[in-house]
Amino acid sequence: MPMGHTATAQAGSGGLTATEHRLANGLRVVLSEDHLTPVAAVCLWYDVGSRHEVKGRTGLAHLFEHLMFQGSAQVKGNGHFELVQGAGGSLNGTTSFERTNYFETMPAHQVELALWLEADRMGSLLSALDEESMENQRDVVKNERRQRYDNVPYGTAFEKLTALAYPEGHPYHHTPIGSMADLDAATLEDARAFFRTYYAPNNAVISVVGDIDPEQTLAWIEKYFGSIPSHDGKQPPRDGTLPDIIGQELREEIREEVPARALMAAYRLPHDGTREADAADLALTVLGGGESSRLHNRLVRRDRTAVAAGFGLLRLSGAPSLGWLDVKTSAGVEVPDIERAVDEELARFAAEGPTPEEMERAQAQLEREWLDRLGTVAGRADELCRYAVLFGDPQLALTAVQRVLDITAQEVQAAAKARLRPDNRAVLVYEPTHAADEAGAADDTTTTTAAGETAAQEGADK
Amino acid sequence: MTDTAAVSMKFHPQPQAGTPTPWAFPAPERGSLPNGLTVLRCHRPGQQVVAVEVFLAAPLEAEPEGLDGVATIMARAFSEGTDKHSAEEFAAELERCGATLDAYADHPGVRVSLEVPVSRLPKALGLLADALRAPAFSESEIERLVANRLDEIPHETANPSRRAAKQLSKELFPATSRMSRPRQGTEETVAQIDSAAVRAFYVAHVRPATATAVIVGDLEGTDLDAILADTLGAWKGDTAEARPVPPVTADDTGRVVIVDRPGAVQTQLLIGRIGPDRHDSVWPAQVLGTYCLGGTLTSRLDRVLREEKGYTYGVRAFGQVLRSAPDGSGASMLAISGSVDTESTGPALEDLWKVLRTLAAEGLTDAERDVAVQNLVGVAPLKYETAAAVAGTLADQVEQHLPDDFQAQMYARLAETGTVEATAAVVSAFPEDHLVTVLVGDASQIEEPVRALGIGDVTVVSG
Repeated sequence: MPMGHTATAQAGSGGLTATEHRLANGLRVVLSEDHLTPVAAVCLWYDVGSRHEVKGRTGLAHLFEHLMFQGSAQVKGNGHFELVQGAGGSLNGTTSFERTNYFETMPAHQVELALWLEADRMGSLLSALDEESMENQRDVVKNERRQRYDNVPYGTAFEKLTALAYPEGHPYHHTPIGSMADLDAATLEDARAFFRTYYAPNNAVISVVGDIDPEQTLAWIEKYFGSIPSHDGKQPPRDGTLPDIIGQELREEIREEVPARALMAAYRLPHDGTREADAADLALTVLGGGESSRLHNRLVRRDRTAVAAGFGLLRLSGAPSLGWLDVKTSAGVEVPDIERAVDEELARFAAEGPTPEEMERAQAQLEREWLDRLGTVAGRADELCRYAVLFGDPQLALTAVQRVLDITAQEVQAAAKARLRPDNRAVLVYEPTHAADEAGAADDTTTTTAAGETAAQEGADK
Repeated sequence: MTDTAAVSMKFHPQPQAGTPTPWAFPAPERGSLPNGLTVLRCHRPGQQVVAVEVFLAAPLEAEPEGLDGVATIMARAFSEGTDKHSAEEFAAELERCGATLDAYADHPGVRVSLEVPVSRLPKALGLLADALRAPAFSESEIERLVANRLDEIPHETANPSRRAAKQLSKELFPATSRMSRPRQGTEETVAQIDSAAVRAFYVAHVRPATATAVIVGDLEGTDLDAILADTLGAWKGDTAEARPVPPVTADDTGRVVIVDRPGAVQTQLLIGRIGPDRHDSVWPAQVLGTYCLGGTLTSRLDRVLREEKGYTYGVRAFGQVLRSAPDGSGASMLAISGSVDTESTGPALEDLWKVLRTLAAEGLTDAERDVAVQNLVGVAPLKYETAAAVAGTLADQVEQHLPDDFQAQMYARLAETGTVEATAAVVSAFPEDHLVTVLVGDASQIEEPVRALGIGDVTVVSG
């Protein structure tokens, strides 16, 4: 078995370390020990997402992810779920533009079971895949699409903005959920071909994080995954690079039955993994993250023209990232008034840059978000896989906080000046078809999954 | 490419579990400050983000007539300025600590949640203390919060699951009960709220003597007593006791209400009634049985509705405590919720009732019970990995008048609960003829098929 190098704790990593290994069949392995709680997370990233899909088969990567829970050679039907849950574990899988991930969080003494299950489906899914599960999961996924996108107000905004921001034919032009027509068109043979092309040990990274014995864990991984043959049938995804600037404002007005007017926009931003992306993240945080941001203060507090106003960042490595603006208007307010205020704030920020206090706040917020992310074994396992798959180096996960803290105010201003411009955005304006009904408030909230990500089952299984 | 990958790997038998490491739900240390504030603290090594949960015994029941929503506006106004900072400054100072502060009002009272990296705990706890001790409640900020709340209401009404929840509360509880009305008020009542009303509610119901702060995280090297003395210890108030609340009652006569949404591609289902809360000895059996019915994708409901029929992305059964009292007169909401495509609405409900009837007739199997216990007990260390999760559960116990070791005991009780008890508990929690069904969907398409099921009278209301 090839030996990996042992990392020592790096500055800003909070004392966390990770080791890397590679099996002969190409499966990359990342291990990180942490004995605070008797739990461990197993996370597998396959380097395939909706960007690998072809015209007429959108949604296939995600539909396939569902099929991964329908049994394999030694695991019957829903056995994957049953065995993990019966062992006191939780599990799910999600699909995004750039990858598909599968994860189990287990009591530490049950880690071997999760490895056995993941290996069984990586090596033998096709021996169990049949028409019955294909038809069933096609219906489940279509209901997922209805529930999360088609039957909620503004539910298709993300899909519409993505289609505007990435041109026709671009690998990120469509979102992971796919279209109803394409979900209907997908065949069992498509699913089989998808598995044969992308589900190989040399197209995956596995991380195991938590209360583990690294030597024993590596031996188990070798035992269960080591005999799965590698293969090289994968075509690289179509090139996702685009010019830095769109060059003109792209715009679509939607007339729909929504409760209020809304202004949404997607700005084209630097690729993830660059200093410029971290600078853009800080710019968006100052402008639209949290309740002390410039847009919140301007629109919600002072002008009182919006119910909510904020920016988010969708980090992407194979295409420009997206800076995501979302403003829901207060009653009676017109969208052009909002747009004018947003443009003023963005122009002022580009001209003046952030104040020292704003930099401090934005960095403190992003630092806490990272601490949250790395504070659970599952979050850490996912980040280690992310940096291994997308950037070739899992250690980068442990130093990500420090990179954000190293960014200067000048870099933040430069990112805003270069990118947060009207000629670099796709805009979606919602105009309600009729006034909202007279009715009182309702209670309860629902769990949602991050934008651009679809999951095997709703929410996290606790 | 061929299927060689599928046949050439070496298979091994399913591995056996290793030796479990003992784990117990953490026991907090309970104490109080000279001002009467109860403090629960819990050291969790490695948890660098500290969670602070404050419970204020200001129940919705205490809101003055016609002012539903005043507790919500008060909760939100805590972070909108104090005697030291304006609203904008307060938000800026909090975020400078990398902290988040959330507050909401529910039937038992108001909850304020702070999360902050431990290095900035003193500063953030100071801000939280200012918010509770000397909130500004300025006229202008309250006006803004009221307007903002009014703008939120149409968004909630448009959301099918929230619309269903609102309708179910209206159906279940007597019109005189606060529980029949939206927690955050209606357009009519919220519009009546002003700064004076918020302050009056605060003066009447918020004081350290009836509040509890739960603090969880890696507290090693933190002099919590000194920090508390300088922050929450400076909060003053009288020693009046919390007001008692009336018992919870509901009408669970089996019936169906369709909230009409012409053109909806799915029907949102919410089927519910009320039942025992955590004070009742049946609770562990009810948790176990409810999990077997609809706790996960492999439970009875999803096994049919999702994995066999494909009607839904997922249907869940759950029990959620509404409000508890020390004398056991509280209640929980027992419900089944999910959404199904419009044309499958009738068949999905028919199957759902079939699942309930089969369960009542044949009971749970020992295997189902075993897997459920293994999951519910086994996931505990995962579920309580973060400080926030531990703090949330400890604060729930306080809010529900339960002992601090309730959750720790709960795991032992679950493990002792047998198949027969779990069956009895879930069958009496979800009796097929005593469930109120709310359907948010296209009445023109679903009304007839639903009537044909005979699960109760059907009425249609506008969306």
